[in-house]
Amino acid sequence: MTDGAVYALETRDLSREFGGFFAVNGVNFRLARNSMHAVIGPNGAGKTTLFNLLTKFLPPSAGMILHDGQDVTRLSMPAMAKRSVVRSFQISAVFAGLTVRENIELALLREHGLAWNLLGRIAHHRRVLERADALLERFGLTDYAGTMAGSLSYGRKRVLELATTLALEPSVLLLDEPMAGLGHEDIGRVTQLIREAGKGRTVLLVEHNMNVVAELADTITVMVRGEVLAQGSYAEVSSRADVMAAYTGQAHE
Amino acid sequence: MTTILGVPSAVLYGQLLLGLINGAFYAMLSLGLAVIFGMMNIVNFAHGAQYMIGAMGAWLLLNYLGVGYWWALILAPLIVGAISIVIEVLLLRRLYKLDHLYGMLLTFGLALMVQGAFSNWFGSSGQPYTIPQALMGGRNLGFMFLPNYRAWVIVTSVVICLGTWYVIERTKLGAYLRAATENPMLVQAFGIRVPRMITLTYGAGVALAALAGVLAAPVYQVSPLMGADLLIVVFAVVVIGGMGSIMGAIVTGFLVGIVEGLTKAFYPEASTTVVFVVMAVVLLIRPAGLFGSKLEAAQGQPQSGLSATAPSMRTQTLIFLALACCLAAAPLVVYPGFMMKAMIFALFACAFNLVAGYGRLVSFGHSMFLGSAGYVCGHAAKIWGLSPELAILAGTATAAMLGLVTGWLAIRRSGIYFAMVTLAFAQMVYFVALQARFTGGEDGLQAVPRGMLFGLIDLSQPANLYGFVLVIFLGGFFLIMRLVGSPFGRVLKAISDHDVRAQSLGFETNRYKLVAFVLSAALAGLAGSTKAIVSQLASLTDVHWSMSGEVLLMTFLGGVGTLYGPLVGAFIVVAMQNYLAAFGQWVTVIHGLIFVLCVLAFRRGIVGELIELWHRLRRTPPAASAALREVVVAPQE
Ligand SMILES: Nc1ncnc2c1ncn2[C@@H]1O[C@H](COP(=O)(O)OP(=O)(O)OP(=O)(O)O)[C@@H](O)[C@H]1O
Ligand SMILES: [Mg+2]
Repeated sequence: MTDGAVYALETRDLSREFGGFFAVNGVNFRLARNSMHAVIGPNGAGKTTLFNLLTKFLPPSAGMILHDGQDVTRLSMPAMAKRSVVRSFQISAVFAGLTVRENIELALLREHGLAWNLLGRIAHHRRVLERADALLERFGLTDYAGTMAGSLSYGRKRVLELATTLALEPSVLLLDEPMAGLGHEDIGRVTQLIREAGKGRTVLLVEHNMNVVAELADTITVMVRGEVLAQGSYAEVSSRADVMAAYTGQAHE
Repeated sequence: MTTILGVPSAVLYGQLLLGLINGAFYAMLSLGLAVIFGMMNIVNFAHGAQYMIGAMGAWLLLNYLGVGYWWALILAPLIVGAISIVIEVLLLRRLYKLDHLYGMLLTFGLALMVQGAFSNWFGSSGQPYTIPQALMGGRNLGFMFLPNYRAWVIVTSVVICLGTWYVIERTKLGAYLRAATENPMLVQAFGIRVPRMITLTYGAGVALAALAGVLAAPVYQVSPLMGADLLIVVFAVVVIGGMGSIMGAIVTGFLVGIVEGLTKAFYPEASTTVVFVVMAVVLLIRPAGLFGSKLEAAQGQPQSGLSATAPSMRTQTLIFLALACCLAAAPLVVYPGFMMKAMIFALFACAFNLVAGYGRLVSFGHSMFLGSAGYVCGHAAKIWGLSPELAILAGTATAAMLGLVTGWLAIRRSGIYFAMVTLAFAQMVYFVALQARFTGGEDGLQAVPRGMLFGLIDLSQPANLYGFVLVIFLGGFFLIMRLVGSPFGRVLKAISDHDVRAQSLGFETNRYKLVAFVLSAALAGLAGSTKAIVSQLASLTDVHWSMSGEVLLMTFLGGVGTLYGPLVGAFIVVAMQNYLAAFGQWVTVIHGLIFVLCVLAFRRGIVGELIELWHRLRRTPPAASAALREVVVAPQE
């Protein structure tokens, strides 16, 4: 912490190698508390890999990760979630064999200390049911409460995943391409939901949709070939020639 | 006479040679398994049976047609390969988009059918096969005597293994094969017919097993079950080496053979178990295997709407009470001995279903819990003179401990590897039971006293015994019912749906799996202990791998992942055993056939299909549980 500030998440010379290829290469990245921060970059830039490293889905090849100033490089994925750093996945991840309601309740179980309850019934815990109801309502899923999550439309799955993630009330929320595969209307709605969710917490999102990024993010990091190319506000970043080059270069490949 | 570390050098070299021979067969078989798995993602459980057909084929050719060794060496692999090509086209091809475990179950069924049929025709005793004229005799190497045939086996297998490796890693054909493994669509686009390539690969892999069988015929006794036990060791070899690499399979095969040989020379008691110990150590240190790079294939995308919504609590309670009444009244019309046996197996199957159905951890080694609990319970009641409740407690606790240790190691792997690891550990327990003094070896523990329950109730009274079994069954079943409906059960189901997502929500998924596994082991142990008291016998059949197969059969037939499926399956299978006992080994063939039918035609099992039907009739959205995850296998990145 050279400048004395404590970041929600911080990486120091973070690298991840896949058989000689560096998907993330010496990244020094800082996520300020309570910011809405977007990571952009062409396909294969290493954005998902960075997410995977931050959430411990992958172990880093080198470097260090700090959460609230503490070294968390060696923690496990559940341990990160318990520190209130929770992510969503690029390919939507719901529990297909559970109903929508059960999906949301699941996220609530751990917080309510019920996950290790071997003989009881969820139906007996009013508090969980009420919170689940509220979340269903807030995300417009009430009508689908009894539907198997696996048979939802893609857009609803994304919304459900967001609802499940937010049920944990994470202090740091990492969203990997929340708009991927969504239709026009859904994008508006999910953008709204993310903006609301961002109040009082730190959000890091990877997104290809520039309108969404411009609308939501206060800080933007541009990744190219595993490295951070630029960082700043939307106006700063979008006016830089090298950023444009990275994108157009990609487009003409 | 020279000795090395206290062992006569001649003995040491002799055992090393034997180890090398065994290693040659491990290498050839695990190589075939690796090739087949790499190409089709199927663990070919019929590999041992196909090896056996190779050997039996050579024997049949010689004894019925007068065709000698050299022709058999060519003919047997060709015939067996051709048959397997038909099997691939007719059966296996339907499974590629499903969970890999279905392939394992189907080929397991095929293996049962083949082994059962051969046992019927030729009896299960071994037949000798004489060494061909040209390879008789041997030479003195100065430090040891080397029989020519053994030298031939080692040289041939090394040549075959290296040849296969060369074809796959260094030729154009091999390049296509590897490319098709990585990206079938792309290779297809280049105009190569991938399905035909897959078919031929399966044929070639199986032919390799048959060839190994012919080579083995003069070394070991030729018998219908010669491949069954061997295959389990080969599975352990596969877990040790990792299935990713061809060279890995070869090297590990020979290494394991040598380690076994050395153990036989220095510490013979452990020679049958040493492979499994090595496997445990490898799981601890390098879970992906010595030559494995990545842990597991990509997780499949679960198909939509495939899980059972539990019926309401009222309905559940009502069904449970009705069940209790039926079982209590049953002895009036059905032979009580049958009922008790069926209830014990039903408890066993329900315990198995707890991990296989709700945790989707399909264990192929659950016999170890049933059997070991039976031994400990029998021993406690007979030798220590404990009362039945304490003896049962001892048995159950033993099974739970065993579940803790094996589960802790096994859950490092999932899917087919989990199946192989549990199978291997169960085989280790089997060998221990076979050799240990207190288990009574082949005879088992006989005349286990039933005793006085709590010092009050005389269990030698038939009515008391029946009531006792009924209470244990209902208690165990009730417990499982509550577990499945509890928050913990919900977490377990979520984990089986999407492990990584559950982790990202903060669940330490391995701990939940382990607890479920230990509970399942304990309940299986409860069944095993009760069985020992009721039948007054603890024997090797209960720890044998075929018992693990039976519990798989009961569960899949009845409906894996449904509450009552295993119960129904258990009653059917036990009834079959009772009424078809006269057919001897043909029952095994029928079991195999049921496996094949279950996998191909009704994967939901009887109860699962009924639930589905019920929903269709009432036009409610189908919510019946499908056996395993019916995946559309996700593209591997
Ligand atoms: N498990 C892996 N094994 C090998 N290479 C990988 C693995 N995961 C990612 N890569 C490689 O690392 C690079 C970065 O991938 P990553 O998924 O992080 O990119 P991304 O920025 O998220 O791209 P996209 O916008 O397409 O999602 C890619 O070239 C990818 O092929
Ligand atoms: Mg990505």
